[in-house]
Amino acid sequence: MNAARKTLLAYLTAAAVYIALGVILPELLLSWIVGVAYLLLAVWLVPALVRRVG
Amino acid sequence: MSWSAHDLEPYAIQRYLGGRVAIVPLLVGSYSPDLATKWFVYGISIAGVELRAEDPARFHRDWPGMGFTHSLTFGVAVAALILFLTHSRVWALSFVIGQWLHAITDAFDTVGTMLFFPFTTEHVAIGAWAYAGHLDRWTDAGAYFSSWGFVMDGVWVVYGLVAWRVLTRSYFRETIAPADPFWRWAGRFLPEVALLAIYRASFFYGTTRWVAWLIWAHVVHDYPFDFSWGGPDWVAAEHPAPEAPR
Repeated sequence: MNAARKTLLAYLTAAAVYIALGVILPELLLSWIVGVAYLLLAVWLVPALVRRVG
Repeated sequence: MSWSAHDLEPYAIQRYLGGRVAIVPLLVGSYSPDLATKWFVYGISIAGVELRAEDPARFHRDWPGMGFTHSLTFGVAVAALILFLTHSRVWALSFVIGQWLHAITDAFDTVGTMLFFPFTTEHVAIGAWAYAGHLDRWTDAGAYFSSWGFVMDGVWVVYGLVAWRVLTRSYFRETIAPADPFWRWAGRFLPEVALLAIYRASFFYGTTRWVAWLIWAHVVHDYPFDFSWGGPDWVAAEHPAPEAPR
């Protein structure tokens, strides 16, 4: 899988999880700051941490 | 009142105007009318004390109140201040476009906006969907996502997906980053993958919450769809206050 597809997959997975969490806990959908922080965690910080540990 | 349009419209403008605008001030402009008002419309609890506008719709959209933030003049005034402070025409232009988009989009609900304040306090209200911010956040969400409001947002979601190239790494490198020194500054602290996430964040936020609220309103709950003009009819929509007799 090339890098662009990996990135797309990461964003789509992050979106699916955020939507599921938002439906269960709609308070999560109210804050733009929470949304941005979640995206940074999902597509940058967590993958970077996993790469470092792995 | 719109729930996702203000997150998504700046990307559509970005797609059209390319390097002539910058996405950060576009987004700031798009969010600016609600930045100082929304929390007080729905209410907030601080240390057990409830703070909420006595008349949320009047506070949000009227004068006296904060309704001037939804006027075209407010966008021009803040843009002039930005130009004075930064000497950046791109920042000033981008801010005013973002703010105007917000003010015009909100004119589609039943309360509308004082677009031409301070020349008149009359509201421009197209009245396509109900303004329900005076009730509570959850009823407002249920009503909005059962009316023409969510359709309007859906247009921007679809447009954004069709114009997906605006979200790519190459577009970011070739158009977004060179147009705004903010990205060069932020790049001193963050890797490109983080800058891209920040650039795409409002699109991500607007699109995902649009899907989530739809599911919440119609799968988790059972709010009935109603595409009557100014609907849904099952909610008590607010309207502009009657003009005082002259």
